[in-house]
Amino acid sequence: MDAKNYILIKTFCKHSNIDDSFIYALYEQGLVTVEERDSEPVFEENEISKIERLFRLHHDLGINYEGLGAINDMLQRMEQLEAEMELLRKRLRLYE
Amino acid sequence: MEFLDYYKILEIDKNATQADIKKAYRKLARKYHPDLNPKDQNAQQKFQQINEAHEVLSDPEKRKKYDQYGKDWEHSDAFEQARKQQQQAGGGFGRQYTYSTGSQGFDESQFSEFFESMFGGGFGGGRSSSRGQFKGQDLNASLRLNLTDTLRDQKQTIDLGEKKIRITIPAGVEDGQTIKISGYGGEGMHGGPKGDLYITFEVFNNTNYKRLGSDLYATKEVSLYQAVLGDEITVDTLTGKVKLQVKPGTQNDTKVKLRGKGLPKYKQDGQFGDLYLTYKVAIPTKLSAKEKDLFTQLSNL
Repeated sequence: MDAKNYILIKTFCKHSNIDDSFIYALYEQGLVTVEERDSEPVFEENEISKIERLFRLHHDLGINYEGLGAINDMLQRMEQLEAEMELLRKRLRLYE
Repeated sequence: MEFLDYYKILEIDKNATQADIKKAYRKLARKYHPDLNPKDQNAQQKFQQINEAHEVLSDPEKRKKYDQYGKDWEHSDAFEQARKQQQQAGGGFGRQYTYSTGSQGFDESQFSEFFESMFGGGFGGGRSSSRGQFKGQDLNASLRLNLTDTLRDQKQTIDLGEKKIRITIPAGVEDGQTIKISGYGGEGMHGGPKGDLYITFEVFNNTNYKRLGSDLYATKEVSLYQAVLGDEITVDTLTGKVKLQVKPGTQNDTKVKLRGKGLPKYKQDGQFGDLYLTYKVAIPTKLSAKEKDLFTQLSNL
């Protein structure tokens, strides 16, 4: 398993041009976990993809923070449903 | 080069107002946003076209130019000439991207050849620089295997274009399964972490068994006599032949389980699924006179 890597919020924000207020707004929605390391706010590196995805949705489609939360949940649910559908499809093939 | 009908892409007519354009753009951007269509490669391309159409039609100057050339597109001479001028003016350097797939990491500054030849390259920089990308692009690759290749761990080299990597494909991998190889995607921006490589397996079933997870399913024909009287039969499994007792009085569609004769379980060393056999009793047809007579005798007993 991957060891947990953390990234400083200020490092991430500086290079991605994403404002730290965006990260804290996601934190308020429970969409990202912010921790402290050596009294600097950090988050887990494997959350980057999600944060960048949510930022694109926010930026491209003007979706607000509550909306991002809802979309995040829906995407997760969609993934579960797709996995379930795939299993059912395979199961169905046994009878063909 | 293909003429792109930006009005058609945004599903609006030529007289559309700026408000119409904005509305159409928002509607379609929402529908085709790659992050909302993670499995759909077409969505990504469509989204790029929508952005491009919007970039042109929402800008009155570009729109005017487009309308002019669009009308004359049939007379491509005029267009060609304009294109040459454009190139002499230093615009329109060709940028060729291959779409690196993945729902993350698309770049809307990838405009079409058509766009670049009309408006020059280098547009959209303003937009894309604010897009917030730090982590490298995720890459997707697919790998085709035969089912019989999944019986044990397989070492394989994957050619990613600029580099080759060696991976071990764990035994028991399933069709459609995706594994993530961290850090083998594109370079990060400004020292950001690398993207990840996702490999999706297409497992082609080159056997006569049906598969569900690590279990295998097959039918086995037995004669009426074997089913009635019982017999010892031999069946093929992926790991060799196995002797099996058919019990006297076996019903049609009886299912027997051959424990551990299925596929290796994914990432569970030494564990195997099962092989399920369904007996199909073959009822004799085309009876000889003697057989028919004996069956009749049996039925009258």
